[in-house]
Amino acid sequence: MSAFQTSSAGKESGFRQQLQALAACVLITLVTQPLREHVDLANIVMLFLLTVAIIAVWLGRKPAITASLISIALFDFFFVPPRFSFSVNDAQYLITFTVMLMVALIISHLTAGLRQNAIEAQQREQQMRALYALAQQLAGVLTVEQAALDARNFIRQLGMELHVLVPTRNEVLLTVGGESVELDVAEMMVVRSAFSNNAAMELRSESPATLILPLSGVTRPRGVILISAEREVLALQRPLLEAVASLMATALDRLHFVEVAQQHHMQMLTERLRSSILAALSHDIRTPLTALYGLADTLTLPRQQLPEPARETAAAIRDQALRLNNLVSNLLDMARLHAGQVQLRKEWQPVEEVIGASIKLLGTALQRHPVKVHLAAGLPLIEFDAVLLERVFCNLLENAAKYAPLDTDILLGAQVVEGELEVTVANAGAGFPPDKLLAVFEPFERGVAESPLTGVGMGLAICRAVIEAHGGGISASNPAAGGACVRFTLPLGEPPVIEQEAGESP
Amino acid sequence: MSLVLLVEDEREIRRFIRQALEGEGSEVREAGTMALGLEAVVSLKPQLVILDLGLPDGDGVDFVQRVRSWSQVPVLVLSARSTERDKIAVLDAGADDYLTKPFSVGELLARVRALLRRGRPGEALESPMSRFGRIEVDLARHVVTKDGQPVRLTAMEFKLLSVLLANAGRVLTHRQLLREVWGATHVEHTHYLRIYVAHLRQKLEDDPTQPAHFQTEIGIGYRFQF
Repeated sequence: MSAFQTSSAGKESGFRQQLQALAACVLITLVTQPLREHVDLANIVMLFLLTVAIIAVWLGRKPAITASLISIALFDFFFVPPRFSFSVNDAQYLITFTVMLMVALIISHLTAGLRQNAIEAQQREQQMRALYALAQQLAGVLTVEQAALDARNFIRQLGMELHVLVPTRNEVLLTVGGESVELDVAEMMVVRSAFSNNAAMELRSESPATLILPLSGVTRPRGVILISAEREVLALQRPLLEAVASLMATALDRLHFVEVAQQHHMQMLTERLRSSILAALSHDIRTPLTALYGLADTLTLPRQQLPEPARETAAAIRDQALRLNNLVSNLLDMARLHAGQVQLRKEWQPVEEVIGASIKLLGTALQRHPVKVHLAAGLPLIEFDAVLLERVFCNLLENAAKYAPLDTDILLGAQVVEGELEVTVANAGAGFPPDKLLAVFEPFERGVAESPLTGVGMGLAICRAVIEAHGGGISASNPAAGGACVRFTLPLGEPPVIEQEAGESP
Repeated sequence: MSLVLLVEDEREIRRFIRQALEGEGSEVREAGTMALGLEAVVSLKPQLVILDLGLPDGDGVDFVQRVRSWSQVPVLVLSARSTERDKIAVLDAGADDYLTKPFSVGELLARVRALLRRGRPGEALESPMSRFGRIEVDLARHVVTKDGQPVRLTAMEFKLLSVLLANAGRVLTHRQLLREVWGATHVEHTHYLRIYVAHLRQKLEDDPTQPAHFQTEIGIGYRFQF
């Protein structure tokens, strides 16, 4: 990590490097001195240039410049006649000096640049490695706290301070992993605004400055990080910090979705357990109910010759048994629909068939509420599960009868509207409570809270589950003309073609 | 006097069914398991079998198939299950009718009477003439009239009508009707059947949306009722 430290480490080391450059120049002068008689001066110049190049590679630009100047001075003093003097006999040597100086400077510039690049590349590589290590750590964390601690340690190694703030369930930003950051009201507002606008902001501009980076998740901001350090350091390390923020956001996203998946899984298990309990219960309840219903019904037969009050009691027992049975049926249906265990057995069929069957099935329950059926001419075949749709019609008709005054009609209509089959069931009752038009489709919700009428109000919830499983929609309304109306739609699809029989008039 | 075999494991359910049937003048024998039931069908030769599908020791489809291999005794199935699949399977295997638990004594007796009447040989459809509502059907001459006015039926419609009439009071599954009228290759084409039943209702019922004779057994099939 030391490579990250900006070289404020010292004037001292700079001074030492200058001395080293000086020493190197002196050394090459001493080494070449004996060669003076045997070697051409032009080659001596080469050796001096080599020295400058080596100094540039090892020590950098400034010592190399120093070395250029010193080596020219030494060359002049010890080699160029007259020796041991800075004066020059032959004006040609001025050209030598100038060229030597320029070449030395160019060499030192280029090699020092190379060295700088190498150092930077090394630094970048180290940063990348450190980031990769952090990414690996974050990919494995199991809690938000752990993720925050890992990121904090990483940033601390760079000589900066990091705080992670994440929103609670009610959107309050709190520090996680480590002591909480101290912010005044105004600062907190800046942090909040960075969070909600998903934008980077500066909290304190004077050193040590604090930078706020948002953690932008896939679906929403996951929090913010606060980094405190010297202003220049922050500016220098900004790309790295942004990379850390993005890693952190990914980690928080992952943790969030893991949590969602776990919750969903738990919910599914609970749901499955509940529905299997309900299924077993309702089967075991139905057997004694059959006996109870049948035995009570037997007592009401004329040939039993029971006194009238006893016969009425038997009839009441029978009716209550039937009610209990309907309740169990609804519970079982609801449980199966909720657990997703219902496989639709969809077939193409006319909707009037299931309407007729439902009305017949309800029988006496609709005695005081005649159903007026209005079907548009030429309705197409619709693809649906007849058994489930029968439950829908039975529930809707039963409900309509339950909440309507005696001897009023129930209106049932079906027509094609905008590419869907639209079915309406309306009665002449008091209508749904206006604030409950949506809630009536929730399980255990009834239009009238303390109504003396029976039923736990699962009927409409079952209707919704069935219709939605068919890709349709259902809604309740109170028509202006009075009464209550439930409307549902089913997709039309493409019905199969029926070949015309020979001799059949269309 | 007719002899009814009741195959049912619940004592209290047996009790009220026995009471109801004996009140009608039938003689009732009981079996608590399917194995005992099969033995009793062989030894007693009852005029009607009432079979509960929820018996712990066996499979209703298997029971009906074995009975059908040598006897045409009417079988009425009692089912507590809410899935239609089991009912269809046992009806396809040869059962005549079904009742879903819980059921009233009135429903039970109506079904039993209808099945016993059908079971009596020589009585069903002696005459080619059938009457229901305002309709008169002459199966021999292929003529259908409503209030004396002729009603035009296509060949397929007439075939379907005659199959339904021949099985009046019985539940016929979609599969059975399709095989009977259109042939074995068409047993999956339930929409054909539905369309033709709709045609018959339009032509022969007073209120096609609330049919009195061509009744729908939702998810299972159709039943013709005089």
